[in-house]
Amino acid sequence: MFKSDKFTFDSKKIKDFINEESNSFLKKSRNNYLKKLGEKKFNIKEEYKYTPLKQSIEKNFSLKFEIEKSISSNTEKKILPHIINDNNVYQIITLDGKIINKFSNIPSEISFKNFEDLDKKEKNVLNHHFGENDDSDSDIFSALNGVLWSKGLFVYIKKNQIINKPIIISNFYTSEKNIFSSQLRKFIFMEKNSKLSICEFDYSLISNNFNSNVTEIILEDRSELDYFKIQNDPNNSTSFNSTNIKQKKNSISNTFTFSFSGDIIRNNLNISLIDENCYCNMYGIYALNNKSHVDNHTSVDHMQKNSISNEHYKGIMNGHSNGVFNGKIFVRKEAQKTNAFQSNNNIILSDNAKINTKPQLEIWADDVKCSHGCTTGQLDENAIFYLQSRGINKDKAVSILINAFFDEIIQKINQNIIKDKINEILSTKIESYLNER
Amino acid sequence: MLSIKKLKVSIENNLILKGLNLEINHGEVHAIMGPNGSGKSTLASVIAGNENYKIESGTISFYGKNINNFSPDERAMMGIFLAFQYPVEIPGVSTINFIKTALNKIREFNKKKPLDAVGFLKTMKKKMNLVKIDRDLLGRSINEGFSGGEKKRNEIFQMAMLEPKLSILDETDSGLDIDALKIVSNGVNKLRKKDNSTIVVTHYQRLLDYIIPDYVHVLIDGKIVKSGNKDLAIELENRGYDWL
Repeated sequence: MFKSDKFTFDSKKIKDFINEESNSFLKKSRNNYLKKLGEKKFNIKEEYKYTPLKQSIEKNFSLKFEIEKSISSNTEKKILPHIINDNNVYQIITLDGKIINKFSNIPSEISFKNFEDLDKKEKNVLNHHFGENDDSDSDIFSALNGVLWSKGLFVYIKKNQIINKPIIISNFYTSEKNIFSSQLRKFIFMEKNSKLSICEFDYSLISNNFNSNVTEIILEDRSELDYFKIQNDPNNSTSFNSTNIKQKKNSISNTFTFSFSGDIIRNNLNISLIDENCYCNMYGIYALNNKSHVDNHTSVDHMQKNSISNEHYKGIMNGHSNGVFNGKIFVRKEAQKTNAFQSNNNIILSDNAKINTKPQLEIWADDVKCSHGCTTGQLDENAIFYLQSRGINKDKAVSILINAFFDEIIQKINQNIIKDKINEILSTKIESYLNER
Repeated sequence: MLSIKKLKVSIENNLILKGLNLEINHGEVHAIMGPNGSGKSTLASVIAGNENYKIESGTISFYGKNINNFSPDERAMMGIFLAFQYPVEIPGVSTINFIKTALNKIREFNKKKPLDAVGFLKTMKKKMNLVKIDRDLLGRSINEGFSGGEKKRNEIFQMAMLEPKLSILDETDSGLDIDALKIVSNGVNKLRKKDNSTIVVTHYQRLLDYIIPDYVHVLIDGKIVKSGNKDLAIELENRGYDWL
């Protein structure tokens, strides 16, 4: 047994698990992460200050589990309602990380495979970059994922390739007995001047699922990525997500994190602007109810000059829900002429809802434009009365104001099908808010 | 049309209206004047149904119905309209969509068919001319970035669109220059009909040169102490409120 901060692991079981890795590079990688887990002092108290780690995560766990060799009709039935039949998108279904080809249509212009299906060239790319770009030095769950991930997704787009239709990935988790077995890894590499939009949904098919996703993304020069994460799982899972983007010069990343349902969700979003002239937009919406807890920890690192980062997260908390926002901005000494903006706005609808928000800026360059702002309040009563005085009833007035609040972010979505889906989910959310007034 | 009897109203445990009586019939313009703190805006807010104010006793009846417990939206649908003294800005809510929603809610209540996009735009164009309000302003969020004058004109524009039975203009003249005042007053006057009425709440007599009242009531310390015709307003202008 060895203890790592809060967790106790059975090291023999883990060593056996690692030995089953057939790719020698990846085996070495897992062992490195294991070393990190044993040696590093993870500052859990600070990094998870407002997100208490539940008792269930601290139990011992089994590492063996079976991914269904072929999908049972039962599982199929549960997946079917989520399939989007629309010619304007590419649809990909994964089950515990494994691509289910039966329900997926992958654009032929890109490579989208599980790690075990890579050809030699692709394996080289993976071995060259895997594990270099995550937050496992500071986050224990990222380090844990590095040891235990069970399935990997590899996405590669060649230079000048533009995929116009968004790729919608619906990830289903079925692991029941093993709360740690939904540990997945994603690796996305975009060559120069390529363009892609990816939208991920996560659904657990059983209750009390714990899933952990660590994603490493590399954007080469002038590439452009729109990346959406939509968390609306009706089964109240606990979800740890770490998305790490490394941007080279003139590249653009637009990330959207939308959280509506879940038991405990932690989203780490880390963007490194390693070259000049990069542009990154980080948008987020969290609309919470009941006992949901959503924690968004973001960081953007301006390492060279002339880059622009723009972050805007908006949240509404109702019921007994909790929101946490922690946005870090680093501006290194060489990053002159940086423009970095951060804004977090929150509305609390009930007496028992809570928000903890904290901006953190570390600025080492002296010729920069950086700002951060954060607000917390309630719906404007004067605005509600104004709308009522024109014949609009209170429920409709509240609904109008909530839509107006989030509209600023929703307007930034270029892909209509995704925008429509978000508006649809939000509509349902607002209805649940009104039913509780 | 409107009958207020012995109305006592408080806010945060302070009694503001202390037994107010007021009767308004169809086709009439009533001016309510008084010094600061007399309760003029409270009266306007309470008739519109602002839930921050508590009716301690007395009644407000509209078309014979006691509306003390009616919500602001119910009152709006019955035909009461309040032109706010300080219209609030509501970013993210388009002015046009807002007015269309309100208009159709009121039409639905009055068993009329909702206006479609074409019908709505036609009506809008007509009424826009009335208060000389710009199409661009209406494309924006409600009152966002509007000047004081534009906000007041937007109130009258909404009034023109919703065609209320009873309009309450709460210090509509405050913050307006002469030209804006003329435009607003012109709009209000054009909207006057035999079957609608207006309450003009104002501090200064100047507005009443343009919107000529049938009756003038003076509100001091939560009660109406004197009523008269338009000449009363002029007398107040000359002698001040202390005279009463």
